[in-house]
Amino acid sequence: MDSLTLLLDGFATALTPVNLLYALLGVTLGTLVGVLPGIGPAMTVALLLPITFNVPPASAFIMFAGIYYGGMYGGSTTSILLNTPGESSSMITALEGNKMARRGRAAQALATAAIGSFVAGTIATALLVVAAPLVVDFAISFGPEDYFALAILAFTAVSSVLSRSVVRGLASLGLGLVIGLVGIDQQTGQARLTLGVPQLLDGIDVVIVAVGLFALGEALYVASRLRHAPPEVVPVGRAWMGRPDWARSWRPWLRGTALGFPFGALPGGGAEIPTFLSYAVEKRLAKGPAKEEYGKGAIEGVAGPEAANNASAAGTLVPLLTLGLPTSATAAIMLAAFQQYGLQPGPQLFDHNPALVWGMVASLFIGNTMLLVLNLPLAPVWARVLRVPRPYLYAGIVLFAALGVYALNNSWVDLVVLYLLGLLGFAMRRFGLPVAPAVIGLILGPMAEIQLRRALAIGAGDVSTLVASPVAAVLLALAALALLTPLLRRLFAR
Amino acid sequence: MSTPDERDGVVTRDAVPAWRRPELGLALTVLGLGVFVIVGTAGVTAAASTLGLGPRFFPLLVGSAMILIGVCYVLDVLRGGHGDPEESEDVDAAAPADWRGVGLVSVIFLLFAGLLDLLGWVVAAALLFFGLALALGARERLRAAAVAVVLSVATYLAFVKGLGVTLPAGLLDGVI
Repeated sequence: MDSLTLLLDGFATALTPVNLLYALLGVTLGTLVGVLPGIGPAMTVALLLPITFNVPPASAFIMFAGIYYGGMYGGSTTSILLNTPGESSSMITALEGNKMARRGRAAQALATAAIGSFVAGTIATALLVVAAPLVVDFAISFGPEDYFALAILAFTAVSSVLSRSVVRGLASLGLGLVIGLVGIDQQTGQARLTLGVPQLLDGIDVVIVAVGLFALGEALYVASRLRHAPPEVVPVGRAWMGRPDWARSWRPWLRGTALGFPFGALPGGGAEIPTFLSYAVEKRLAKGPAKEEYGKGAIEGVAGPEAANNASAAGTLVPLLTLGLPTSATAAIMLAAFQQYGLQPGPQLFDHNPALVWGMVASLFIGNTMLLVLNLPLAPVWARVLRVPRPYLYAGIVLFAALGVYALNNSWVDLVVLYLLGLLGFAMRRFGLPVAPAVIGLILGPMAEIQLRRALAIGAGDVSTLVASPVAAVLLALAALALLTPLLRRLFAR
Repeated sequence: MSTPDERDGVVTRDAVPAWRRPELGLALTVLGLGVFVIVGTAGVTAAASTLGLGPRFFPLLVGSAMILIGVCYVLDVLRGGHGDPEESEDVDAAAPADWRGVGLVSVIFLLFAGLLDLLGWVVAAALLFFGLALALGARERLRAAAVAVVLSVATYLAFVKGLGVTLPAGLLDGVI
């Protein structure tokens, strides 16, 4: 069956009243939590994971699609209306967006962000529909050595490209890999690194690690350095924009989409690089009034990066759904959500569970439309959310973190593990270790191990089997390149 | 997006000798974890390792990599390298660390973890929220207490009655 038919079936799944309700719930909660300062998209997904524990898989993923896009969208509202940027992907939006807001153009900044996200999200999701079956066809013949090479590429790319210091990125990755080792070895049933604690035999749940590193880590970090001056929120009415704003926005939206999607799909690409590139491109292309406004609140500098941000979010789903390969922390937590339901994304998922996959893809379109309808009139509500007193905000984050983690196994041991991981997250923030590599290492580590052992078992222990297939050889070469690039750059810079 | 090179221009910033910088602790933890992984899995024997590699192989790889990374990290810190503390909306990166706040949050959370099964979600979560809000600087106690009770009751009702998640009833067993 071709993907268009499957997509129509997906719409049939997603358009049932119950699933529409789940999509609406996901979009609303995602935006609400994403708007909250200090909470990025990854933490949004991690904190909202427990809500889906008792929901059937198809509906749960429809809700997740909404949470994912909603969380992305919420972050941009925060960076436009609040002076200080939060997660790195919407940092660029804050550069021009907040200046626009201060000049009394908050409504237009929010409108171009909302409409741009819708345009970019819709185009990029359409690209996902086209690209996913192609990747699946290609990946169906992948052997264990290819998957191992893919994991290694994701490891090195995320540690070296996304962080300012390679050694700190790798240290973070290693921490994730070590946490992933804890528990019973899946192939031989041997307990590893459990320190004799029976609750650790099943390993440390990804939810605990994500919530600990993100939520509790953030709360402890904030406790150590709380900004005591109250935050300055720019007041805003209904988001709208006039004809000149449309004329200035549509090209940056399209260019941002073109940059965001491919970068999102690449391991280590993420949202930071395309948003930054889009900002730079728009700055260079700016003419006339736009050129004068750049740096003082030009609408192009919001439209482009916001589109790039959302397009990369859709791009991230290509390797996640087709290969089971997360390229960002948010995607890693989404992968964990799949695993909660015993599902492993990859070529087989498209074969065995087309209704679920295409229902989710269809609901991305639906969620995107809902976000647009929801966010233009609701901008004043989100602005009010930004005024939540910080002590209540962080106390609330910890409360929900504890709820989600306790609900996993009803065990207080998990709460202690959560606290220890929170301390680790705190230390990582304080010393500038990126958190994303740890989450990706944790979730991909066990997969890398299984594939490595499988590949070597097939090859009777001969290490050269790991580069026997051309795909694996190319991927490993790219991985080495990703690791060496920063070193080479440093050498040449001297 | 700051400059990728942190080796230069750092030397002047830190007056504290490199070996006393707190980041060294984290670097040594990474190194120590590498050793721990190798030593900790030394006792893992695979009786049924006929299927190729045993359960020690991958930990050995990870442990060795961690030791290598840890050594590089320690050297980097000793040579004056440092990461940039993460920026966030509510964080004043320039402020000195408030250890009292961290300590209070830690104590409150660990007490909550220990008492949750006994007190039940509604009581324990309300106390957790109230304590954390005060520790993080909330002034109006009455309001914080009211928010805490509303939030803990609302989450209990929503998750237990609405979403079918299990949470302990504790003291209020049978009441709620």
